[in-house]
Amino acid sequence: MKSLSSKRPVACLAALAVVVAVSACAEPEGGTGDKDRSGSASGQIVIDTTFDVKTIDPGREYEPTGQILVKGLYDTLLTFADEDTTKVVPDLATYMANEELTEYTLTLEEGRVFSDGEPVTADDVVFSLERLQGLKGNPAFLLDGVSVEKIDDATVKLTTAESAPALPAILATPSLGILNSKVVKDHGGATDDSDTAEEFLNGNSAGSGPYVLEKLDVSSEAILAKNEKYNGPQKATYDRVILRNTEPATQKMNVERGDSQVALGLSGDMAESLAPGVKIESVPSATVVFLLVNADPAVSDLTSKPDLVKAIKAGVDYDGLLEIAGLGAAQATGLVPSVFLGALDEGDALKYDPDAAKAAVAAAGAEGQPITLSFPNDIDPTGLNMTTLAERLQSQLGKVGLNVKLAPAPFATEIDAYRSGTEQIGLWYWNPDYMDPANYLAFGPGETVGLRSGWPEGANAAIEQLVSAGYTTGDETERQKVFEQWGKAMNAESPFVPLLQPGSNVAYQPSVTGVHYNPVWLINVAGLGAN
Amino acid sequence: MAPSTRSEDGPLTAGGDQAAPRPGRAGHQSAPSRQGPQNHPNRADGIGKRSLTGRLWRRLPKGIRTPVGLIAAVVALAWIAMCLFGAQVAPHDPLAQELPRFTPPGSTAWLGTDELGRDVLSRILSGARVTIGLALALVVMSMVVGSLLGLVAGYFGRWVDETVMRFTDLVMAFPTVILAMVTAAALGASLFNAVLAALVVSWPQYARVVRSMVLSLRTSEFVASGRLLGFSPARSIRLDILPNVSGPTLVLASLDIGTAALLLSGLSFLGLGAKPPTPEWGSMVSSAVQHFDKWWLGVFPGLAILTVVISFNFLGDALRDAFDPEAGEA
Amino acid sequence: MSPDSELTDPGPALGPGGEAGPVRRGPAHAVLWRYIGKRLLIAVGLLWGMTLVTFALTNLVPGDPVAAALGQRAADDPAIVERFRQQYGLDQSLAGQYWDYLVRLVHLDLGTSWQTHNPVARDLAKAIPATMEIAFGAIIMAALIGISFGAWSAYRKGKMADQILRLVSLAGISLPTFWVAIVFFYAFYYRLGWAPGSGRLSPGMPAPPKITGMYTVDALLTGQWSVFMDASAHLVLPTAVLTLYTIGLLTRFSRTSFLEVLDKGYIEAAKAKGLPGRTIFFKYVLRAGAIPILTVIGLAFGSLLSGTVLVESIFGWPGLGSYAYQAASRLDLLAVMGVGLFVGLVYLCINLVVDLAYGFIDPRVRVG
Repeated sequence: MKSLSSKRPVACLAALAVVVAVSACAEPEGGTGDKDRSGSASGQIVIDTTFDVKTIDPGREYEPTGQILVKGLYDTLLTFADEDTTKVVPDLATYMANEELTEYTLTLEEGRVFSDGEPVTADDVVFSLERLQGLKGNPAFLLDGVSVEKIDDATVKLTTAESAPALPAILATPSLGILNSKVVKDHGGATDDSDTAEEFLNGNSAGSGPYVLEKLDVSSEAILAKNEKYNGPQKATYDRVILRNTEPATQKMNVERGDSQVALGLSGDMAESLAPGVKIESVPSATVVFLLVNADPAVSDLTSKPDLVKAIKAGVDYDGLLEIAGLGAAQATGLVPSVFLGALDEGDALKYDPDAAKAAVAAAGAEGQPITLSFPNDIDPTGLNMTTLAERLQSQLGKVGLNVKLAPAPFATEIDAYRSGTEQIGLWYWNPDYMDPANYLAFGPGETVGLRSGWPEGANAAIEQLVSAGYTTGDETERQKVFEQWGKAMNAESPFVPLLQPGSNVAYQPSVTGVHYNPVWLINVAGLGAN
Repeated sequence: MAPSTRSEDGPLTAGGDQAAPRPGRAGHQSAPSRQGPQNHPNRADGIGKRSLTGRLWRRLPKGIRTPVGLIAAVVALAWIAMCLFGAQVAPHDPLAQELPRFTPPGSTAWLGTDELGRDVLSRILSGARVTIGLALALVVMSMVVGSLLGLVAGYFGRWVDETVMRFTDLVMAFPTVILAMVTAAALGASLFNAVLAALVVSWPQYARVVRSMVLSLRTSEFVASGRLLGFSPARSIRLDILPNVSGPTLVLASLDIGTAALLLSGLSFLGLGAKPPTPEWGSMVSSAVQHFDKWWLGVFPGLAILTVVISFNFLGDALRDAFDPEAGEA
Repeated sequence: MSPDSELTDPGPALGPGGEAGPVRRGPAHAVLWRYIGKRLLIAVGLLWGMTLVTFALTNLVPGDPVAAALGQRAADDPAIVERFRQQYGLDQSLAGQYWDYLVRLVHLDLGTSWQTHNPVARDLAKAIPATMEIAFGAIIMAALIGISFGAWSAYRKGKMADQILRLVSLAGISLPTFWVAIVFFYAFYYRLGWAPGSGRLSPGMPAPPKITGMYTVDALLTGQWSVFMDASAHLVLPTAVLTLYTIGLLTRFSRTSFLEVLDKGYIEAAKAKGLPGRTIFFKYVLRAGAIPILTVIGLAFGSLLSGTVLVESIFGWPGLGSYAYQAASRLDLLAVMGVGLFVGLVYLCINLVVDLAYGFIDPRVRVG
């Protein structure tokens, strides 16, 4: 009933729309042509990771992605070799310690220079370490109670009141990278909180590392460029290193399609189904995932019962957890992960024993009583999905008669409950701050993490003694013994249930060499080579 | 009379589109349709005039009396049935982690199993109650809250109207997802809180529509004469205004169910809705992202959301046409 | 009387046979300016309300931003915590914090984000163009296709084409965006390789010099053809996902608008008079229908700005949506307020512009 002509204008509009649509759809083909260029390792390497970085000012940074970047930009006094994460080796300096391990004398290597060609001196070292202390930023605790003193232009002495066997490992932490004091001071740097150099250091680097900063956008991308003045032992292979903020699923797609050369954040499941042609470096990470079962009766009548802790320790089917954690994961034999001195043997690990668990549940009178399991759900330590893990735990503990309710929350919200010790059961993880088992003594009664589980000072005298021995024992064999004793006692009596170490799964193109996992800085970009 | 800012009436959120009976139409007498009599027998039905089924059929809104409409109605009914009986029909316990992980669709599990060895089909069927039930709850709540405020604003006018409408503007100016996210974060992640968060952003459209309908009714003769006769506002609202407002509002609500389901599953997708291990479609899609090469984990819950939203939207459309035949097909 | 009946009813002024009157500025300038002034005043009030709501909500969140912002070890050191609180003014009362915020806001200072350690304004300046690029793309595509579809559907009311288009548009608004985004990314990037991967540019492709911040535009302005192609290619998938929804929306809306117009006596009369269909469509139907459609386009654009959260997170697009999401989930109060204010501002501006545009499209619309 409408005239033919009335349709024509509409047809014109529609045709125009189609033309636009088609031309838009045709664009990706032009785009794929560009990909060949980025796919090859022509002096550039693309690393995909999930960004967790607020700043790369060494004195302030303390997030995983920040560690990767700072490690590439700043040399530290001491370090660990890429292949061996148990032994401290010299980087900018060599060290000597007195017998009590209270005085460390560091002698700078000769001739090392910053990216502007100026030599690295004792003044730079003193400035960098004192700045870290004075800024009172996230990493400041690393040098608590350490005084820094310049002896001469090439020598620095560090002194502590008590013996500090962990200090060399701490000196290898990227946050303790040595800054070019002159450059930093010129941009507002100071060794107290009048310092304003952060903004400068987030746009430029002032170190002696193999790379210099070209660009940092904390939400999307960081680009490092080769430091032409670098004269240390580990010269950069690639002209440019590009780190991109990418979701884990996309990381897998990218590395399989050759759009990136390295993917750092794959989960165990993703690593298992990786396409052929992509290589994988898979080892148990040094991240320990654990349950805390709050010992404070004010928080929960149930979880504070020792029988309930026993029930959970025996009621978890540890192999069943490894199944969902996927490639590279291993049961945590104790709170100290396997790469450290003093880690326990497999035989000392907690064991699944459903009958004992059921008996303990009955003894605690906890059958069917609701208990809340809180965990952060927007963070995946080393690719492990916390929600999946919590669901598996809930199902396992349900089988031995416990009625576990899951309470996920964003990390930012849940961390507060965790830190103030108000969770009934908490599912958390611990990344090592530095490469030494002393880091894990924080789980002791009255210590940082112990308090979060309602475990105050005086709760367990035997373990507390082992903790103080752990902090101060210098002799390596003695130390190992102390930590093993401590670990066994913690497995038996602490309100913590070590669950697993998720696998660290780094997928990479065959063209890349030198991929090694490091517990503190994940990957050393300067160590990456090309075939 | 409120200042004549355009923004206080017409604007519709991206979710609720033209479904809103626009105020301009409230008292609008439809012009004689050019398409001939409304009850012209639909050629597609072919059912005798006298049979009972035929008469029932004729009573259905026109939009449903087409093949597509029938399919939509059947799909929507099927999903409503699943809301009621999904858990009973499910072949497995939706929470039981008893099958091998990542089994592809096949005889063990028709739609495969997930990362914990749970049956995807059973989770989808049991999840119908969660997703659809909550969407309905959300729609009812936002309709009640929004209509009440709109009624009050429209009837009492002056500063009451001004206050309510400025508040409506405030909420509508807010980025929807972000407001819902912050609310959900403030209240803690749970299904109930997700509904509350969604409520915060979804009531204003009802308030606006109801208000403008009330505005035009208020000046109509029968309400005015009621006032002259000394009827109380409550009586006037109950007898004169509510009956006239409820129809279009219900239509708007029926069109909103799909949008509500999308918003809620979106919140769950972001981890702000259903708590694990509750089978909720949005969170199922969310965890499927991590296992994209196991296509069945994401495709089926996604299709579930899609079919629910599309069938409810279609029925809402048909209902709207029944109320307002002009907009529908001949 | 309700201003709406005036706005939506094209009425007899475009009556049968009569040419549409010349487009004039409707009201006298003084009235117009008073109107704009009033609107701006309301807008300022609304923005203030938004800061209040966001501030209240964010402080209701049961978490301590200090714990969220600081490392675990540092948060145990009272001295460090004290310093952090001082630095961000958290040591003051809530009222004091809010007052400080308002004072800074008056000086156009949005404060510093805790998660990026950057001024919020600078973060926004980076994120906004990224989102604008997708939003503009989606709205232009959707407007062209959606209005054509709507007109087609209205002209063919009840016919097969109408049935199909109604179904298509219904499907469009029924799509779970987050799901479609995943499916598209998987299919067109991972499986087929037709589209490039996530992000705004291929790795190593240098961003064009910043003019507008929208890479495609900047690349064109500076004549960097390869950058333009690369940026466009990255735009296709996220834009397409958002376009689908918006097409559905606009098709449905414009269909209704056109139907209403086609019903008018003057269109019948114009037809009876023998005016060519093209003339009728462009002169009367499109113009009369444009008013409500314009409103929806404006609002759809506003909602695109904030509605991209789900899509941006999947395509790794460093835009406003992912920034807001990160900020909200990390209790980054000032960043959330910044995004809220910006989107609110855009929404209010769009409303104002749309309202004023009525006056130009339909001179009979009076303000006052």
